[in-house]
Amino acid sequence: MDGIHDLGGKQGYGPIDRTGEDEVFHEEWEGREWGIAQCARTPGITIDWWRHCRELILPEDYLARPYFDSWAQTDFSTYIEAGWMTYEEIAAGKSLRQDLDYGEPLEAMNLQQILDEDRAHAFRFDAEIDTPPAFVVGQQVSTQRHGHGGHTRLPQYARGRVGKIHAHHGAHVFPDWSAEGREVHQHLYSVVFDASELWPEAADRHDRVYLDLWEAYLLPVTT
Amino acid sequence: MPEFDAKKVAEAHQHLHSHLPSESALRVKTLETLLEQKGLVNPATIDAWVEAYTEEIGPRRGAQVVARAWVDPAFKARLLEDAPAAIDEFGFLGKATAHLKVVENTDSVHNLVVCTLCSCYPFSILGIAPAWYKAAAYRSRAVRDPRGVLAEFGVEIGDEVEVRTWDSTAELRYLVLPQRPPATEDLDEEGLAALVTRNSMIGTDRDLGGSA
Repeated sequence: MDGIHDLGGKQGYGPIDRTGEDEVFHEEWEGREWGIAQCARTPGITIDWWRHCRELILPEDYLARPYFDSWAQTDFSTYIEAGWMTYEEIAAGKSLRQDLDYGEPLEAMNLQQILDEDRAHAFRFDAEIDTPPAFVVGQQVSTQRHGHGGHTRLPQYARGRVGKIHAHHGAHVFPDWSAEGREVHQHLYSVVFDASELWPEAADRHDRVYLDLWEAYLLPVTT
Repeated sequence: MPEFDAKKVAEAHQHLHSHLPSESALRVKTLETLLEQKGLVNPATIDAWVEAYTEEIGPRRGAQVVARAWVDPAFKARLLEDAPAAIDEFGFLGKATAHLKVVENTDSVHNLVVCTLCSCYPFSILGIAPAWYKAAAYRSRAVRDPRGVLAEFGVEIGDEVEVRTWDSTAELRYLVLPQRPPATEDLDEEGLAALVTRNSMIGTDRDLGGSA
């Protein structure tokens, strides 16, 4: 979707604020939200669906509220949508339903178990597929001119542009469909763009921008 | 179970905008309380995650990897070829690093990492991302005005140096391998690791201090 989250190349956001850059968490609630996101049960929720739900936050909230606040808001929205939490419960600040089975109680984990758990969170998103890759390293490609209303990882600033295949990474879960609950693997490439292809003011710079793009975002360039 | 109904989620965000308390601490407290009562989270486990990412997992891990790459050419080759396996030699493979890629700075190339669409970051090797990395100013400008961004971080890049910005649009994550500073022959790996800044591994720092 062409949402507020798609920030690459947008102008007017001003200088970078490095306040507190050496603090891990600035306030205690940030750590709580981080921890919730690591260990709370999330029924059937994929990372791409969660990202899409974060993209759907009202623009004013997305830009103005603190970063981890947007995680909490995203969590609320995903639980509400999945039917595991209601507006009434949120207003009351307590669980009002006993009719859903949320599974066995979760046992507390200690630091050593968490360090092991972090290792277990080295999730892979790739898989072997029968379809051969459509593009080879070094080949010129152009990107799709348009996105769509759902979750997608082709940013606006890189649409309808010509780049070159820099690397092929095998097939990875296609996020546009994963955000709809469908797990399908598709070839993934790093595509390199000259800065001058992307930005009018970069005409005399030899800088480059690399994006990781799925095959469905790409078209062959006929020369 | 989710129905993947974006309209319903948009409505939820509208509702929460008007009905949630405005203080973030209260919002998160409400979330944690509800999840605990429903048996969806154990608060002690949250404590342990916070402790892990405050005390154990952070940019010192990345710095150790960089220092090893500076002193051990064979390790550096493995790191550039297969970063997840290389960091696993330290036991650092973990959250968001199964598809890690390492990009190397040279005299003629400077690398900068961003996530313009959200806030992707290689957690198990750099810890929690700094707030600026996740904010609109950095995310919007890193792809369009990387030299202006670098200047704000005090990094001046000559015209002869190519700036490569890596936008983390998939599940790959990027770690910049900074250049070893000159006049550091006397330092051991630990001493070298102490020179490596978190920002240099994101790319918003370049010339690391050598031994004075």
